[in-house]
Amino acid sequence: MSVIEYDVVIIGAGVGGLTTGALLSERGFKVALVTTGEPTACLSTGCIDVCSRTDNPLPGIKELPPEHPYHLVDEKIIRQSLNYFQAVMLNMGIPYKGSIEKNRFVMSALGTFKTSCLVPSTMEAAPQDDKESLHIITFKELKDFYPGYIVSRRRNTKFSVFDAGVFTTMSIASRFEDKNFFERFIGWMDKLHIDQDKIGLPAVIGLESASEIVNAIATLMARPVFEIPTIPPSMPGRRLFNALKKNFRNKGGTIYWTWPVIGTEKTGNLIEAVTTFSEGRPNSINARAFILGTGSFVGGGLTAMREGIVENVFNLPVSVSGPRETWFDNNYFSLNHGIGRAGIIVDSSMRPIDSPWENIFLCGGILAETEILKNGCGHGLALATAHTAAKSCAEYLSHDL
Amino acid sequence: MIKTDVIIIGGGATGCGIARDLALRGIPHCLVEKGDFAAGATGACHGLLHSGGRYAVTDPQAARECYEENIILGKIGKKCVEQTGGLFVRLPGDSKRFREVFLRGCEQVGIPAEAISSTKAFELVPNLNREIEEAIKVPDCSIDPFRLCLLNIRTSEMRGGIIFTRHKVTEIIKSHGRCIGIKAIDQTTGDSKEVHGNIIVNATGAWANMVSSLAGCEVPMTLVKGSLVITNHRLTNMVINRLRQPADGDIVVPNEAVCLAGTTSLAVEDPDKIDTASAEVDTIIGEAGKMIPHFNKTRIIRAFSGVRPLLKSGKADSHEISRGFQIINHENGLYSIVGGKLSTFRLMAEKMVDTIMVSFNLKKHCETAEIPLDGQEELSGYPLSKRLADIKNIVCECELVTRHDVERIIRETSTRNVGDIQHRTRLGMGPCQGGFCTFRALGIMNDMSVISPEQSMEILRSFLQRRYRGIRHALWGDQLREEQLVEYIYLGILAMEKSE
Repeated sequence: MSVIEYDVVIIGAGVGGLTTGALLSERGFKVALVTTGEPTACLSTGCIDVCSRTDNPLPGIKELPPEHPYHLVDEKIIRQSLNYFQAVMLNMGIPYKGSIEKNRFVMSALGTFKTSCLVPSTMEAAPQDDKESLHIITFKELKDFYPGYIVSRRRNTKFSVFDAGVFTTMSIASRFEDKNFFERFIGWMDKLHIDQDKIGLPAVIGLESASEIVNAIATLMARPVFEIPTIPPSMPGRRLFNALKKNFRNKGGTIYWTWPVIGTEKTGNLIEAVTTFSEGRPNSINARAFILGTGSFVGGGLTAMREGIVENVFNLPVSVSGPRETWFDNNYFSLNHGIGRAGIIVDSSMRPIDSPWENIFLCGGILAETEILKNGCGHGLALATAHTAAKSCAEYLSHDL
Repeated sequence: MIKTDVIIIGGGATGCGIARDLALRGIPHCLVEKGDFAAGATGACHGLLHSGGRYAVTDPQAARECYEENIILGKIGKKCVEQTGGLFVRLPGDSKRFREVFLRGCEQVGIPAEAISSTKAFELVPNLNREIEEAIKVPDCSIDPFRLCLLNIRTSEMRGGIIFTRHKVTEIIKSHGRCIGIKAIDQTTGDSKEVHGNIIVNATGAWANMVSSLAGCEVPMTLVKGSLVITNHRLTNMVINRLRQPADGDIVVPNEAVCLAGTTSLAVEDPDKIDTASAEVDTIIGEAGKMIPHFNKTRIIRAFSGVRPLLKSGKADSHEISRGFQIINHENGLYSIVGGKLSTFRLMAEKMVDTIMVSFNLKKHCETAEIPLDGQEELSGYPLSKRLADIKNIVCECELVTRHDVERIIRETSTRNVGDIQHRTRLGMGPCQGGFCTFRALGIMNDMSVISPEQSMEILRSFLQRRYRGIRHALWGDQLREEQLVEYIYLGILAMEKSE
């Protein structure tokens, strides 16, 4: 067994984990991040939902039930976390648009409107109502996008199909990074003589240069162009993840990729190490503090068993609505499923309550009472709690010296 | 208005079997079903073609019928019956005496039952509990109930039978005290249809009393709910039964790529208001796990309930009520056929049509036991190589269903229902339970411009709600994880909440 030493070990490579990692690295701490693999952020639309239940996120947050973890975060930190995020993403070439003062709409692949706060610049031009006419472009044999959904809902909307020669979201996106392909695409578009107000495409328009490619199409076609997020695998989600990952590494962080945590070492009130498994042997990673950003069920932070719910890394006490019968409501669309409130309860320093550990800090979807779908607060809450967790962790490490 | 000789209400195995029998005897008929085929108990059972062993001790008559039908269906339905064979396994603590009674019962009925050692049983089914003491081999088979209904209906359609699915009978028309026809409402369009006939057959299973009451008649029944769970893969290639008196969770049946285990037995009042209880799911998994320990760790993809339409009986334990069937002549042109089992559907249809022939004073005898089911030549089993060759067009990755399959069903059946596509292609039957491919199947419908946006949203909503009913009681572990992702896709990414 090899032993590696760090100041902080972060478990989970989602928006929360990578952000906390970058913040702590910036402060000069030696940070490692371990992850079992790609985070659920890669499955997401890439949009930063802060609180989508109201027109404006901040009043919406105030209306959340008192046990919601947003109430543990200062409004100043919520603002700061979004500003920091926008600055990072701009620097990484994936600019985000929007403001905490007002939510905006993103057009969905069903032609409905999804409410979000900060959106990738490639979605900025999405229509905000039913008035504008659209020309939807799709790709031959792309099976996760059906323009009929949108066209049948909106008047004056047409669609055209381009043969990219490849048929998955990932392969089309990477072809757009190729100059010859782009020119062939533009040549084809020219012949369409588009006269609708805006052009919409599924979100497969490039990988890291998506923003520039969408801008180039808009300039050449002389009208606004916007991307429509697809069901997973989602390119905007992947762009978000790749940018945050690169940012963390740029600040000096180390990522141990596909290293699942299989055990922990504890003394008194402290976690001293996590044991991970990779390269055919267990590796012990020592650290003075730990950040847990493993997400909820999809992310793998929590596992629901017939008998109850467990937290997978530190076996922290999980707050849950009750026995299995209470986890799901009879109405699928109610958004009131008890399971949405399952998670770990933390104090304002993001430490788990009812547990002895002084040096664990949590962020993101693993927290209790989030009801992320109902409240529309996924990545926004992850950013806000990541900043709070990083702050508490830094303070703890400074006192601990 | 449509005129015919016989009106069949109900598109379960019995109704479809009656349609085939009438078609082969040249009697014009019309079948009306309120949902899709096999929507009631037919589609909510194990898919077990009984050897009769299960009833050899408690109900020799039903056992004999099962065995005879097992042989017949194996012969006429080679492509829809899988000759799995079955084992009755005895666990430590199970009565040795029952083994003797069981073997004697099988012998008396004529069911070939061979006692084999536990070692031999492990060779046949490696996943069996290593503690079983012995096993008895019987000729159980598995059968796809939905495919069975479609193959029966095929014969009817080929010979001029009129079939209406998604039509609910709302009225039985009477004239001078006799039932002369029905009124039915098209559940998709709301249009009303009137069909007149000389005889009406009520083959509606658990709904038989509700339908007969439209004609002022009563069908005394005991409705008994049975729940089942489905695993995400096959744990056994043989049917596994527990060697003891029939009880909860004592049968595991392999079917296509999955296994079904059940059932339970609880009396209910209303067949439209049934739900699966978590305790039932735990019982089934616990009991199945005693026969196949791996069951406890296997991913469950569905948990659902069906209602057995049993004949009224004074017996307190519903496991003991006869699985036999009965034809009730209401003496006004209406007949109800109730009880029975999926395994004996053909025999039930034969007896029903014999009765009709007598009433019509016609002589042609039943041929359903001799002529193979029509349409089987198109069932090629599971042509994996062919399907993978078309990988670009696969819209359901779990069951390898292609875009062409979906388009063909939409064109052939003019359906506006994802469930219909599901039943006919197995789309959405795998681990994600339609999470990804429903969006795609409806997208294809949209691209074919056969539905309006309002319809498409309503179809999606009702499908997701209906789908949820079948999975909600099987949500833990990886299945819960997958379901959370599916919920995020529809409500988060696709913003379905905005569509109300």
